[in-house]
Amino acid sequence: MVKVVLKGITKTFGDVVAAGDINLEIKDGEFFTFLGPSGCGKTTTMRMIAGLEHPNEGRIFFDEEDVTDLPTYKRNTGMVFQNYALWPHLSVFSNIAYGLKVRKVHKEEIEDRVKKVLNLVNLAGLEGRFPTQLSGGQQQRVALARALVIEPKVLLLDEPLSNLDAKLRIRMREEIKELQERLGITTIYVTHDQEEAMVISDRIAIQNKGIVQQVGSPTEIYNKPESLFVATFIGGGSLLEGIVEEAEPPFCIRVGNNAVRGIVPSPSEAIKKGEKVACVLRPENFLLKEPEAAANKIKGVVEWTAFVGARTEIRIDVGGNRLLVHAPRDVDVLVGKEITVYIPQEDTIILPLEDGNR
Amino acid sequence: MNYGKTWKRIKSELDPMTALQTLISFSILFLFLVAPLGSMVCQAFIYKDQVSLNWFFNIVSDAEFVSVTPRGGRLFEVHRETMYIWGLDHGILLNTLIVAVSVAVLCSVLGVAVAVMMARYNFRGKEVFRVLLLVPLLATPFVNGYVIGKIFKPTGGLVNFLFYDLLQILPWRIDIDGLFGIALAQTLSFYPIVYLNVFASMMNIDPSLEEQAENLGSRSFRLFRTVTMPLSLPGLAAGAIIVFIFSMEDLSAPIGFIGARANPLSRKVVSYQIYSSFAEALAGGISPKTFALAVIMLTVAVIGFTVVKRYVSLRSYAMISRGGRWSPRARVPSLGGQTVIYVLLLLLLAAASMPQIGTLLLATTNWATSGTFPTELTGKYLGTLSTNPDVTRAIINSLTYSGLAVVFMVLVGASIAYVVARRQIPGRSILDVMATVPVAVPGIALAVGFFLFFTAYFRGTALDPLIDPSLLLVFAYSVRRLPFTSRAISAGLQQIDVSLEEASLNIGARRSTTFLKIVLPLIASNIIGGSILSFVYSMSEVSTSSTLGALHEDRMPITFYISQIVYGVAAVGAVSIGAALCVLLMAVQILAMVISNLILKQRVAFLGV
Repeated sequence: MVKVVLKGITKTFGDVVAAGDINLEIKDGEFFTFLGPSGCGKTTTMRMIAGLEHPNEGRIFFDEEDVTDLPTYKRNTGMVFQNYALWPHLSVFSNIAYGLKVRKVHKEEIEDRVKKVLNLVNLAGLEGRFPTQLSGGQQQRVALARALVIEPKVLLLDEPLSNLDAKLRIRMREEIKELQERLGITTIYVTHDQEEAMVISDRIAIQNKGIVQQVGSPTEIYNKPESLFVATFIGGGSLLEGIVEEAEPPFCIRVGNNAVRGIVPSPSEAIKKGEKVACVLRPENFLLKEPEAAANKIKGVVEWTAFVGARTEIRIDVGGNRLLVHAPRDVDVLVGKEITVYIPQEDTIILPLEDGNR
Repeated sequence: MNYGKTWKRIKSELDPMTALQTLISFSILFLFLVAPLGSMVCQAFIYKDQVSLNWFFNIVSDAEFVSVTPRGGRLFEVHRETMYIWGLDHGILLNTLIVAVSVAVLCSVLGVAVAVMMARYNFRGKEVFRVLLLVPLLATPFVNGYVIGKIFKPTGGLVNFLFYDLLQILPWRIDIDGLFGIALAQTLSFYPIVYLNVFASMMNIDPSLEEQAENLGSRSFRLFRTVTMPLSLPGLAAGAIIVFIFSMEDLSAPIGFIGARANPLSRKVVSYQIYSSFAEALAGGISPKTFALAVIMLTVAVIGFTVVKRYVSLRSYAMISRGGRWSPRARVPSLGGQTVIYVLLLLLLAAASMPQIGTLLLATTNWATSGTFPTELTGKYLGTLSTNPDVTRAIINSLTYSGLAVVFMVLVGASIAYVVARRQIPGRSILDVMATVPVAVPGIALAVGFFLFFTAYFRGTALDPLIDPSLLLVFAYSVRRLPFTSRAISAGLQQIDVSLEEASLNIGARRSTTFLKIVLPLIASNIIGGSILSFVYSMSEVSTSSTLGALHEDRMPITFYISQIVYGVAAVGAVSIGAALCVLLMAVQILAMVISNLILKQRVAFLGV
């Protein structure tokens, strides 16, 4: 197991930036996820770690060793491809044993290790099958076993669950997480599914247009997004635009008739008095009663309600802006009536506008 | 530009395996394609040790080669109740071009007509026709021309006996011979090439494109003219240019006609001129005029091929939209329409299968000497395949050359296909072009190049054709049929996902291990399919076989032996032995088609640009 360090990694394809000056340290034994919309460069970043692509600039280290110029077959990483890339002409056993044969492992040991890894992924007894005779979940496990059996320094998973149905996806992600914890292997995961990333990862890097926007634990990313992109990409929420009234804690902005106070997770120099900024309000942070902690009080008119089982969703019109609020399931509100909601100041996230939002 | 970085990138792509593959491919293509053709081109421009257009002027100003006013020949002339259809002699060079253009046009008309019937109509027995329509593709070198010549004899020929003497439909006997005869024989053998290319184009047209046109009110011929035909043009262009090149370099129809009728007009084509100059090669080498002639042929072919290839790549739009239901449109025609289709197809089949049927008759009966009809069955000609030492030696030679050629083709073809498809090295597009271009190189021109280059620079070695042409024949076959092998393998590579290889590399296998253990097994069926096809094409290869093969009697391949028999060097009736050899060739071809269709589930990979 190693730590993986990316220093100034840059990769471009023509005009498209797949990786823009990425600097990261992935700790030994960590479950680290690259999360971002499709085309953001997350897969390319992983492929550079695997050695399947070469960066234009920057170096990649496994512990202290510079592996940038090592071809993929000398890096000892185990990669699981999005489409599994199982060799259709080889049986399950041969698919898994392949890496060991390449490493000239003794025949008996190969059999032993393949057996063990098959047990690990709950596929014992399927050695003789061919990939086409397996279900999607089983193929996934073979791909995982094939990557694990060589005891790689780093396990690389490229959207491994995207070809599975919703239920299986949830089961497999739990299995992968358990396995990773048991083996303590440094794991790098790529996905565009934010919920998957939150559930499975120790830390997440949010990538957009090749640039890593923020790195942090799921909680940090969710509660303290440092950019509007991160705030809107992770979790839902309403976006209000306002003018800065106070540019020091407690920050205050004016949205229509309301003064809204909140926190600024990003460097606060970007917030200047009199400038237009945005504030992000998560629907589940709203309260219908005034809390003890300092909170913003917002009045509006109920526009629409929906009972979705675990809760009731309410949309409120606040002077032309719309807020989505998650209320308890038994809340009693009527469309067209006035309503007052509260949101704690520490859950009110103020962020500078970005290009495209300005 | 940062050269250090570029070099580093190239170095990371050039692992030992890729380097070896690239090196071998380039060396073989250079030594057996570029260098021979290059030295031939150079020689053609040298006169008295100086760069000069002398040989070209010599050709163009010589009425024997170029003559705008006809110097002889008969076209639709009637003398004494016989209409002579020979074609007019405009000189060797113009004759060749006129024949090739005519054949391309005729094949296009026939090919498109058949493709429309087969791609857009459903009728009873369509599958049977589909198979039968491929019969003319079975090569019966030299004997095909001989059979057509025999059938169209003014007296004793089958056609005149039936339609003039017996049914009295024809007002005169007709005598088809000379250039017209060559064009007819070539059209009947080559039209399936256009048909298959156009057919493939039509099957690839998104049905919604035609449905949209119909929806807007267009139907039948208008629909065909405005939508179907324009979208099939790439297939037509590809087929037509190949037919054009094949016609220019064809030896089998001229020699067949000479054998059957001895009309001197049949000799007045470029391919025959080059062929006959090889007879002098043993005595004193080949005249630079022949080089110039070959260079002109090569230039016309390569320019035609390049223009068409560019056009086709610009117009490959028929495949763009691929959404929705994909079942090519076909309708059931009215009873009248069906009758028309049957009559047309049957007529065409009867005409186009004449060479193959005639070959069978010659091989199994006494038809060669009996007159209009055969009178008795005999197995003695087929028997010579195993008893006549000359015949068996020719068979063994051809099998050996073709087998060795296949090994080279697979080695080089797989390397090129892999490097082109998977590696980002400089020069890979050159490699791609070099692997395609042999399609456009007339075999007869390559033969001249080989002779010139290897007698000049490899004199006295195993590669000197005057000492032993065997090795050169192997390489000639390899290079000429390389495009088919490398294309079949490319098709296989396109179907396997790159991640299958990356997974292997990632696990720690080197590129060579990955190639051997992952890539090769996955494209094995393509390799086998490509090998079978290349083997068959090599066995029936004519141009280099009957020129280079002529240089050493013990080393002659089947096709040269057939050409000798048909040309009339051997005794009367010997043509039946040639026919027996053609029957053997047909059997090999049918076997190959069956194997690739039934066992490998591949349609015969096909001749296209």
